[in-house]
Amino acid sequence: MISASRKGLPVDPPPPTRRTSALSDLREITRDTWRFRELMGQLTKRDIKIRYKQAVMGFGWALFMPILIVLAGLIIRLALANAGAGTVNREAIGGLAIKGICWSFFVGTVGFATGSLTSNISLVTKIYFPREVLPFSALGAQAFDSTIAGLALSIALPFLGLKLSVGLLWAPVLLLLILALTAGASLFLSCANLFFRDVKYIVQVLLTFGIFFTPVLFDASVLGPTGASLVMLNPLAPILEGLRHAVIGGQSLLTPIIEMTTNGIPVVVWHPWYLLYSTFWALGGLVLSAVLFHRAEFAFAEYV
Amino acid sequence: MPCYSIGPSLRSLNTCDVAMTSSYIRFGNVWKRFRRGEIHDSLRDLVPAVSRQLLGRVRNGSAAALQPNEFWAVRDVSFEVEPGKALGIIGGNGAGKSTILKILTRILRPTAGTAEIRGRAGALIEVSAGFHQDLTGRENVFLQGSIMGMPMALIREKFDEIVEFSGIAEFLDTPVKRYSSGMQARLGFSIAAHLDPDVLIIDEVLSVGDFRFQDRAFGRIRELVSRGLPVVIVSHQLDRIASLCNEAIVLDRGVAVYRGDPADCIAWYLSGNRASSGDGKEEAAIQIHQLTTEGPAEVPSGADVGLTLIGTISSASAASEDVALRVRSATSGSVAFETTLARCGINLLSPGEFRVRVDLEMNLRPGVYTIEPNVINVMTHNDVGTGPLAYIQVASDPGFVGYSHLRPRMRLL
Repeated sequence: MISASRKGLPVDPPPPTRRTSALSDLREITRDTWRFRELMGQLTKRDIKIRYKQAVMGFGWALFMPILIVLAGLIIRLALANAGAGTVNREAIGGLAIKGICWSFFVGTVGFATGSLTSNISLVTKIYFPREVLPFSALGAQAFDSTIAGLALSIALPFLGLKLSVGLLWAPVLLLLILALTAGASLFLSCANLFFRDVKYIVQVLLTFGIFFTPVLFDASVLGPTGASLVMLNPLAPILEGLRHAVIGGQSLLTPIIEMTTNGIPVVVWHPWYLLYSTFWALGGLVLSAVLFHRAEFAFAEYV
Repeated sequence: MPCYSIGPSLRSLNTCDVAMTSSYIRFGNVWKRFRRGEIHDSLRDLVPAVSRQLLGRVRNGSAAALQPNEFWAVRDVSFEVEPGKALGIIGGNGAGKSTILKILTRILRPTAGTAEIRGRAGALIEVSAGFHQDLTGRENVFLQGSIMGMPMALIREKFDEIVEFSGIAEFLDTPVKRYSSGMQARLGFSIAAHLDPDVLIIDEVLSVGDFRFQDRAFGRIRELVSRGLPVVIVSHQLDRIASLCNEAIVLDRGVAVYRGDPADCIAWYLSGNRASSGDGKEEAAIQIHQLTTEGPAEVPSGADVGLTLIGTISSASAASEDVALRVRSATSGSVAFETTLARCGINLLSPGEFRVRVDLEMNLRPGVYTIEPNVINVMTHNDVGTGPLAYIQVASDPGFVGYSHLRPRMRLL
């Protein structure tokens, strides 16, 4: 009955490892994520519950960061107005609030998702489920917060320069784009942080200073013609600016928008190419990091 | 070992029947390589590693050769488990048992070979790993259940059963951080035990909770096994393996060194342990060459068993040595009985060959027993030499309860 003696150890393994195409990887990811949607719901619920358990402020937390961003933005605007650039009006506050919520969604999700794999080590090394579920549920929990903030804002928006027009239809498209961009970044960074623990510190620094490189507290136009087109290289910038133009300005995003600065210099604040550029980053980034994540997934338990 | 292949596909039957008849576990020539020591895990270490890889100094992941700091945790292990079969995997710490289970449950990917499970796998492994300390027991049932792959509808359906089984109903709305570790483990096991899987994988969960709960847990596992699912069990509780499994594998440093009937495997495993622990002893004056049993290999509890012990005495210093006969339960590894020749009135003094007739009354519970003849030092009582083993199987008797046969004699007064 002895199949191999102690001395006669098997010496050579058959070497080949399998290679899969990116397309079949994507199919697998979608199938797995769909099959484990209930788990994703449960983990999202867990993250939300924990956030609000033993917390005095309750849902006030969801509004806390966006309100801070709006206040910070107001200070910047007042300073700029004092220096003779722009005015502080209701539209400015409306735009600030929209961009503030989006930014806090992005920052909150990425910050939370980056550590989502490492903070669930016991799950990753002990129980199988598609690991995508972890960063995705971090995104879900943050999306819940941002939705509350968004609902609160939608009550206030009519008083903050909301313009009902066809341009408003761009809002859902842009929200999907920011969702895709955030999901891609979350997948990539959570995976990277699992292998290299310093990623989370780098991300923290980037998120802290990112607000200076993203037109959240200010509008792109205040940077002048060159500055505006430079800041638009940030993939988030066109999405945030686009939302402002569509919701507050009620403008179509298929034509360039030109604004005059106070010195009378025309600045191209919007161009349809910007939309394409952000879409490229959002979708390309999502697909690329999903495939990367999926391929690395099987090494997680070993390297964590 | 014969390999069984799966019968014709039964897709036309309803899903439940398909699950019952065609679920299986297949493990084909699996190899798994691990690295010893630290793996670079900060970006500072990445740069040299990547540049080395780019310069071609490191073989890429698919090559077969081992690096100096690598080792095979699993080497060329194959098995196949069909419905109605329960496979036990035994071996010492670090033999590769848990690695095999992790490959089976898709946590790890094999370096080479294939691991395949058909049907929904239920893993009784780390049953409370998904608990969040701040959530209540009730919330954690849903969380842990869905982490283990239970659909919400199933959790809702089984919720009352789970709670009842765990026996902690009154603390259901208390955060689990206030539970004792035993209570957490009980709740975790109860969830896992209600997974309703097509394939069952069990790792060391048989020692959860107090002895009453252990009995209940064991009964539950027995019930799941008796449903005819394909089952793989890893445990150090050898008697549990013996009573649950109908086939077993002994692992040693990643290699399946022995496979067959669980009792044989356990005996082989225990005797293997003994052989390797007997190294480096000084030469004993008494050598044991043979220990043979007479009569049938399987006897009912309480029956007499005759053995013949043959050995030689090589020098006069034999006075300081004696032969001990140790009857060891192959299922639990514990010594059931031990005696020595001297205690039975035989003193080995004159050099030359000796033959001793031994009769034992096997008043023991059903199971496999090894009889180990050991040469011992009469002063220190340490083993100084070993001899070949004999096996005796006490026939299974469903009516037997306890661990020894007290030969009851009753009469009506």
